Amino acid sequence: MAIVQLEDVKKIYKLGKTEVHALRGVTFSIAKGDFAALIGPSGSGKSTILNLMGCIDQPTEGVVTIDGKVTHGLSDKALTRLRHETLGFIFQSFNLIPVLNVYENIEFPLLLGKNSMGKQETREWIEYLIEAVGLSDHMQHKSNELSGGQRQRVAIARALVTKPQIVLADEPTANLDSKTGQSILELMRKMNAELNTTFIFSTHDHTIIDIADHVIRLLDGQIVENTRQSAEAGGL
Amino acid sequence: MMLTTMRVAFRNISRQKKRSFLLVGAIAFGMLVITLLNALTGGVVENLRVNFSHALGGHVFIIGREFTSSGQVILKIAPDERLDQLLVEHDSVIESLTKRSRTLPTLIFGSKQTMQLMYGVDFLAEDKLLDSLVVTDGSLEHVLEYHDAIILPKPSGERLGVQPGETILVKLETLTGQQNVGEFRVAAFIEDQEQFGISAAYAHRTYLNSLLNLEADEYQVLNMFLTDLAVLEDLARDFRLGLRSPDELEEEFAEVEEEEMGLTVTVGNVPITPTPEPEEIRPWDGTRYEVMHINQIMEPVEQMVGVLNKVALVIFLILLVVTMVGITNTFRMIMIERTREIGTMRAFGMQKGQVRSIFLWEAAFLGILGSLAGVVLGGVIALILGSITFNADPSLQFFLNHGQITFTFAPASIVFNLCLVVFTSLLAAYRPATAAARLSPLEALSSHT
Repeated sequence: MAIVQLEDVKKIYKLGKTEVHALRGVTFSIAKGDFAALIGPSGSGKSTILNLMGCIDQPTEGVVTIDGKVTHGLSDKALTRLRHETLGFIFQSFNLIPVLNVYENIEFPLLLGKNSMGKQETREWIEYLIEAVGLSDHMQHKSNELSGGQRQRVAIARALVTKPQIVLADEPTANLDSKTGQSILELMRKMNAELNTTFIFSTHDHTIIDIADHVIRLLDGQIVENTRQSAEAGGL
Repeated sequence: MMLTTMRVAFRNISRQKKRSFLLVGAIAFGMLVITLLNALTGGVVENLRVNFSHALGGHVFIIGREFTSSGQVILKIAPDERLDQLLVEHDSVIESLTKRSRTLPTLIFGSKQTMQLMYGVDFLAEDKLLDSLVVTDGSLEHVLEYHDAIILPKPSGERLGVQPGETILVKLETLTGQQNVGEFRVAAFIEDQEQFGISAAYAHRTYLNSLLNLEADEYQVLNMFLTDLAVLEDLARDFRLGLRSPDELEEEFAEVEEEEMGLTVTVGNVPITPTPEPEEIRPWDGTRYEVMHINQIMEPVEQMVGVLNKVALVIFLILLVVTMVGITNTFRMIMIERTREIGTMRAFGMQKGQVRSIFLWEAAFLGILGSLAGVVLGGVIALILGSITFNADPSLQFFLNHGQITFTFAPASIVFNLCLVVFTSLLAAYRPATAAARLSPLEALSSHT
């Protein structure tokens, strides 16, 4: 069952009088629980697709469906709610809130909308995530007291805290050394398996491509390869 | 959710400590100026009220008038059940009573003479009076020893060219209108407060009474010191109403009727006001009373202080406007600095209104912290200045409390100023906050800041 679906999606940016065709009619779908990778050179349209799937941008043409909801025509409020309830984000440069500590950064998305969990359950869930990302000893640390790898671990826990259907990760290992990148990938794969959360990456990292269930290769705003790999082939 | 935005906002203040410190400092300075000026003027009014009340012998003043069989109006308070009853009823708020006689005699020294209001007081009963007088020459030490001692306002002494220790003649009218003359020994000169309507000479009541043809224990003015000035005007009204005689009530009623029935003559639709006829004094029985209170005397002072407070408010508003410009610019800068962070929060589901709230809470916290810092600083400065005894010019002593500046903090005024600061801070931050809220998550996340 597709959790994300793009149908003949086009995106044109206007730069003065010039029109830049970032996407030229892209169609694909991603199944629930997939560990999917969007790959391609710079300017191929990876980030544009992530933005459309993340409901922070709208297509010029075509239909984007997230968890059965067509994003076109939704108000800013409804899109914000959809992001909060369905999506989690991991950014290349972590984007932690500097004034909050590890626990508070992870808790933050839960405080932005309805939270069906009770106080105790919420606390246990956050502590479970912190333990899962291996930061139990750093719960009270602020982001400037953490290494790059540790910050990205916090970002992963933060992306998962609302139990989203989909986590969108924009080059999550790009700012990390290879060893740390590897451990972050292992962590995401583990969370993907444990929570059945769909992970969608934009990446240049071949390690991700190797372990992905679903690889979509882009070039000049078009799909040039759309491959689903077997679960065995996608294992680490 | 509000708690979360408040928490983030509060912590954001500590991010750029130097910048926040400067903003809080600017707000605190404005608040300090207005708080200190308000407290200073409040203290001056309070000191003047206290010093005036001692000089005048009370907070509430009752003057009695009798219409004699010979057709004269004389100042005198005779034993009266109504007055005694009212004094008993209000005993709980009356701290003490003082009884004075008063006259407007001509003071003569050599070939010079001047007119001067003069009180006959019981210096032993009015123990605070001598303390409150600001002596410019001579001494009050021997006032109690000499039965004919007189304390003169400095300008009167200068007009007469007399020196302390010398004797002057006092020419006055007795109660029944006869001329009388007495000799008084000048004990001291005191600071005059004529600009506030207080300029009086003081002498022993028993001696002055003997010249006025009053018995030693008789008096013309009954003054009351109250325990609580909050009840001052109510108490004065009670006495005013309670001391009205039936014929006074009838007269008032007749006046109202005349006014209501009065015909207006018009010429070409223009109403002509008839020329008032000279008022004829109608005889009355018993004593008629006039009740006044210290607030009526303090009116010109309070008007002057009101002007000062308005000037302080204008200065404060100018400082606030300058600070507002600073806050607006700072928040514009903050918005640019935190663009990516705003994008992150929006991506995770923060609504536009919540983004705006964070900025507005930050502005509110800056306003509150600045105001509180200003008030605390003002309190400390007031405490320090208030503990210093100034050897100021005698003319200024009436504004001080035993040579010390008094600061009276008015909580309502502080709360009003704090609200004003918070409101202007919110106003200053509103546009940048709205701009931050309107940022699209895509734009914000693409930002390099």
